[in-house]
Amino acid sequence: MRGKRLLFFTVMLVLAIAAVLWATGTGAIRISPGAVARVFWDLLGGGLTPGDTAQTIIWQVRFPRVILGFLVGAALAAAGAAFQGLLQNPLADAYTLGVSSGAALGATAAILLLPETGLSFTFLVPLFGFCGALLALFIVYQMGRVGGRLPVVTVLLAGVVISSFFSAMISLAMIFAGEQMRSVFFWLVGGLSQRGWTYVAIIIPYLLIGLALLVYLARDLNIILLGEEEALSLGVEVERVKKIVLVAASLITAGAVSVSGMIGFIGLIVPHAMRILIGPDHRFLYPAAMLGGGIFLVAADTFARTVISPAEVPVGIITAFLGAPFFIYLLRRHREKYRF
Amino acid sequence: MSVRIKVHNLSFRYGAMEVLRGIDFMVQPGDFVGIIGPNGSGKSTLLKNMAALLTPSAGEIILNGKDLRRWPRRSLARQLALVGQERSAGFNFLVEDVVAMGRYPYQERFSSPKEADRRAVERAMHLTGCYHLRERELFSLSGGERQRVILARALAQETPCLLLDEPTSFLDLGYQVELLELLQSLNREEGLTIIVVMHDLNLASRYCGRLLMLSQGKIYACGMPEEVLTRDHIRSVYRTEVMIDPHPLDGSPQIIPFAAGAALRQNHGCPKVHIIGGGGSATPLINELVLAGVPLSAGVLTVGDSDWATARRFGLEMVEETPFAPISSARHQDNLALIKGAAAVVLAPLFIGPGNLLNLEAAATALEEKKPVYLINEPPVEERDFTGGRGIELYRALIEKGAQLITRAELGQIARPEEREGN
Repeated sequence: MRGKRLLFFTVMLVLAIAAVLWATGTGAIRISPGAVARVFWDLLGGGLTPGDTAQTIIWQVRFPRVILGFLVGAALAAAGAAFQGLLQNPLADAYTLGVSSGAALGATAAILLLPETGLSFTFLVPLFGFCGALLALFIVYQMGRVGGRLPVVTVLLAGVVISSFFSAMISLAMIFAGEQMRSVFFWLVGGLSQRGWTYVAIIIPYLLIGLALLVYLARDLNIILLGEEEALSLGVEVERVKKIVLVAASLITAGAVSVSGMIGFIGLIVPHAMRILIGPDHRFLYPAAMLGGGIFLVAADTFARTVISPAEVPVGIITAFLGAPFFIYLLRRHREKYRF
Repeated sequence: MSVRIKVHNLSFRYGAMEVLRGIDFMVQPGDFVGIIGPNGSGKSTLLKNMAALLTPSAGEIILNGKDLRRWPRRSLARQLALVGQERSAGFNFLVEDVVAMGRYPYQERFSSPKEADRRAVERAMHLTGCYHLRERELFSLSGGERQRVILARALAQETPCLLLDEPTSFLDLGYQVELLELLQSLNREEGLTIIVVMHDLNLASRYCGRLLMLSQGKIYACGMPEEVLTRDHIRSVYRTEVMIDPHPLDGSPQIIPFAAGAALRQNHGCPKVHIIGGGGSATPLINELVLAGVPLSAGVLTVGDSDWATARRFGLEMVEETPFAPISSARHQDNLALIKGAAAVVLAPLFIGPGNLLNLEAAATALEEKKPVYLINEPPVEERDFTGGRGIELYRALIEKGAQLITRAELGQIARPEEREGN
C-alpha cells in the first residue's frame, strides 16, 4: 500500500503537469506543450519579452484561466472529500448540503447590492459568498441536529431544503435585478472565461486557510470515522474537530463558488474516485482529491472552450458529461471492494 | 503504571430519565471486573461515565485521586482505553493504520511516528494476533478479526486500564472465548486492569474476577462470581429461573436457565416441602417440584452424591454429610429442624444401607409431628434394602403410621393441596 501510494502520487503529479501544459497550449492558436514549457522557462528566467504573442497569450489569457481551473477543481474536490467524510455519507457535498447555494446567494447579494467599485468589489464577492455559505451551514446544522448529534438523514434533508430555498431566492433576486441580471446570470452559470490573475489572487487565501485546517485535522477526522466515542477516548476533541472541518470546507467552497459560480459534480465524484484508488485515509485523500479535481476541471474547461470554438460550452455541462461515465466505470470495476 | 478508580455515589440522567442511581464501587489495579445486568439496567451508561464520554449528574468518579472531569482528554487517553460498541459502516482503512491511531495521545501533530510508537503498535498487533493482517483492509476481515484490530488499537494506547462495552456481542462462540482468554492473559501477565460490560453470564463468571450486577440503575450485587450469580439474584434481576452448576474446570458458577420467572408463579406462596433422598433417587422428584414452583428443602444428602448436586444446582436449603460416613446424629438433628419448617415430607425411593437408616427415622419423626409424609415406592423397598430387612421394617412402619404411598405421576398434586382435598 505504501509503495502504491508513492506510485499513485507520482502518476498524478505527472498528469497534473501534463494537463496544465496541454491546456495552456490548446485554443484558437495551438501551441505545442514543448513550446509552452519553453515559454514558462523563459518567464522564470527573464520575465516577459514585450511583443511576443505566444508569451502574451500564455501568460495573460490562458495560464491564469488554467491555474484558476486547477485551483477551483482542487477546492471543490477537497471540500467534497471533507463533507463526505465528516457526514459519513457518499451523497454529501457542498451542493447537497446547501453550502454552494448559500455561497451563491451571498455572492448574488454582493453583486446586486454593492455598487461595482473595481478591485475591492471583486474581493467582496467571495466574502459575501463565505457569509452565505456559513449562513446555510448554520441553518442546516440547526435544522439537522437531533439532541446534540448530527444524524446524516436529517442533515441531508435540511441541506436539500435549504439548497432549494436559497436557489429560489437567487431566482427571485434575478427577476428584480434589472440590468444587472446579465452579470449575475453569467456568473452563476459557472465558468472560467474572462478570469484573469485577480481571481487567482481572490481564491488563494480561502483555499490556503481552508486546506490548512483540513490537513491539520486529517488524522483526527480519520479517527472520528471509526467511531466518535472511541475517538473521544483517544483524546480527540470530536465536536470541535467536526465544527472546524465544516467551516473550513465551507470556506473553500465559498472561495471556489465566488470565482467560478456553480460547477457541480466535482465535489461529489472526485473524492469517491480517489477513495477507490488510494483508500479513505484523509492524510492522503485530500492531496489526491486536489490533484484529481484540478486535473479534471482543467481538462473539462479545455473541452468547454474548444469543442464548439469560438463559442464556449458552460463547463458544468462538460464536468457532468465526462464525470458520469468515468464514475460509473470506476464504480463497476470496484463495486465489490468499494465500501466508501 | 496503575489505576485506581473510585466511583462515588454516581447518578446519571438522560433528560428526565434517571439511568444510574447511587453507584458506589472501587476498582483496584489489576482487577478484572465484569459489569452485568439486564437490558436497560445502565451497564453501558456506567461504562461511558467511567470513560468520561458522559458526565455524571451527581456524584463523582475519581481516577488516581483526581475527579475524571478535571482530567484533560489527552492525559486521560493515556490512562483509559475504550473498546466501544458503535461500529461505523464505512471507511476501509488499513489494519496497521487503524492500530497506529492508538498512538494519537502520544504524538505531536505532523511528527512522524517515533520508535516507541512503532514498538507499541507492533506489540499490540502481536498480542492480539493480528500482525499478519497489518496490510489488509478493515473490510476484508471477519467480525472477530475486526474486533481484535480495535482491541489492538486500544492496546497500542498503552494504558493501564481497558474499558470494553460488550466486546463479544456479535462474535461466535470461538471468537468470544478467544477474546476473553486474550483479555485474561493481558490481565494476568501484563497486569492490565480490565472493566468489561458483558451480556453472557457464564463467560463473565468464568473470566471476570469480580462482578458488578446492575438492576434498574442501581448496584444489585457486587463481589466474586459465586456471590453475585445466585439463583435468587438472577430470579429477581433477570426474572428467570436458573440452575447453577460449578464449572468443571475452575468451579465458577455456570448458569442453565430453565423457565421464565413468571412461569413458576402458579405455586407462589405454596408451603415448603422437604425431600429425603440420596444416590440420585430424589433428583427426578426435585426437578419436577422445582419446575412446579414448589419451595423445597432436602436432607440428609452426601456431598458429591448426584442428589446433592441437584439440590445445590437449585440452591436448595439442605443438610450435607461427609462422603462415605454414616449420617451423624448432629446432621440428623439438622434434618429434623428442616422438616419442622416444612409443610410436608417426601421420601424418595432411596437405597437403604446401614449409613442412612436415620433418613427413615427422620420420616418417622415427621409423622409423629403430624406432618403428611409421602412415599414413592418404585422400585419397591424390597429391592432397595441392603440392611438385611431392618430398612424394610422401618418402611412398613411408616406406612402403618399413616404415610401415603403415591406414584411419581401423583407427585404434582402435593403442590396443589386444594385439588388433593377435592379428590
